[in-house]
Amino acid sequence: MRRVPWIVLGLLAVGLGLGLAGLLAPYADLLPGCAFKRATGIACATCGLTRSVLALGQGHWGEALHWYPALALLAAGAPLAALWDLRRAWRGDPYPALPASRALRFGAWLLLAGIWALQVARGI
Amino acid sequence: MRVPFAASHRALVRPIGAFAEPPPSLGRALARMLALWTPLALAHAALTVREGLQAYGQLRRMGPPGWMSRLLGADPETLWELFRDLPAAPAFGRIAPWLLVGVPIALLGTWIHHAVWDHAGLWLLGGLKGRRGFKTTLVAEAEALRIAALGTLAGLLGFLPGLGAALAFPLVLLEGYLWLFRGFALAARHGCAPWRGVAATVVHAVLLGTCALGLAGLMLVLLRVGP
Repeated sequence: MRRVPWIVLGLLAVGLGLGLAGLLAPYADLLPGCAFKRATGIACATCGLTRSVLALGQGHWGEALHWYPALALLAAGAPLAALWDLRRAWRGDPYPALPASRALRFGAWLLLAGIWALQVARGI
Repeated sequence: MRVPFAASHRALVRPIGAFAEPPPSLGRALARMLALWTPLALAHAALTVREGLQAYGQLRRMGPPGWMSRLLGADPETLWELFRDLPAAPAFGRIAPWLLVGVPIALLGTWIHHAVWDHAGLWLLGGLKGRRGFKTTLVAEAEALRIAALGTLAGLLGFLPGLGAALAFPLVLLEGYLWLFRGFALAARHGCAPWRGVAATVVHAVLLGTCALGLAGLMLVLLRVGP
């Protein structure tokens, strides 16, 4: 049984969204900025994400990497994820369940905290 | 006599027992969600667009209000010039047909978005036990969002003249509760403790929305209290 490559479809939609976001880049200065940073003086976990999205939408990879490294790395890895999803769908395999490993979950939390710490340390 | 939304109201007041019945199929859950939520969201979107067009026309005619210049930190004269040169807004009748297409797509997008991030949040909190997969989350989200459509209905009250500013804060609180409410459906359908489901929606908000939610809240408050 063939399956739907939902990740590929999602990536296509995200790609379209990024392209549209790139068109809005000239108006980015009208955004009032991060309310969390304004209130606390510290970057939030997603500070830099909007600027990174806008840079990606314009094809400025270096700029995107500067503003939010995790997003640029994810975008760079997207073709690999798409290939894996197409292969999975072609073979008719279901999506695997997320691993129940506590270590992996802990690692994911550490990664998220690390991304935030990086943004705070760089003063984004 | 059957009171409309009575079941939704009961579920919102007593969320822990609200999802005790066997789960519906994905197709049925989705159809029920769209059947209830779409008309309300369409009405909400139509009123928002209508008010937006009126505000836009007012900006072009009368220039920006003082609070907007202060918020943007821009020179009022420069802003005034900018707004005067803006093109005229299209008529509501030209936008309305697009709402019929855009609103259902936005609702489906919201449903999938919530499912993806809540599922990830639940995994991070160790709530995905029993190996029930993403489909279970999709069903739970559809059930919760159907009930949470009551919030969209309440949101329509904000468009009543004179009530917008008064209801801004209660509506924000209600939105906050409806956000957390999805967690009860997630917990019931995945068979984990309710706190894990609710916390998953909080993780979702923190991961994705620290900035966006703060911004949206700020914008909402400004829109409600603005002249």
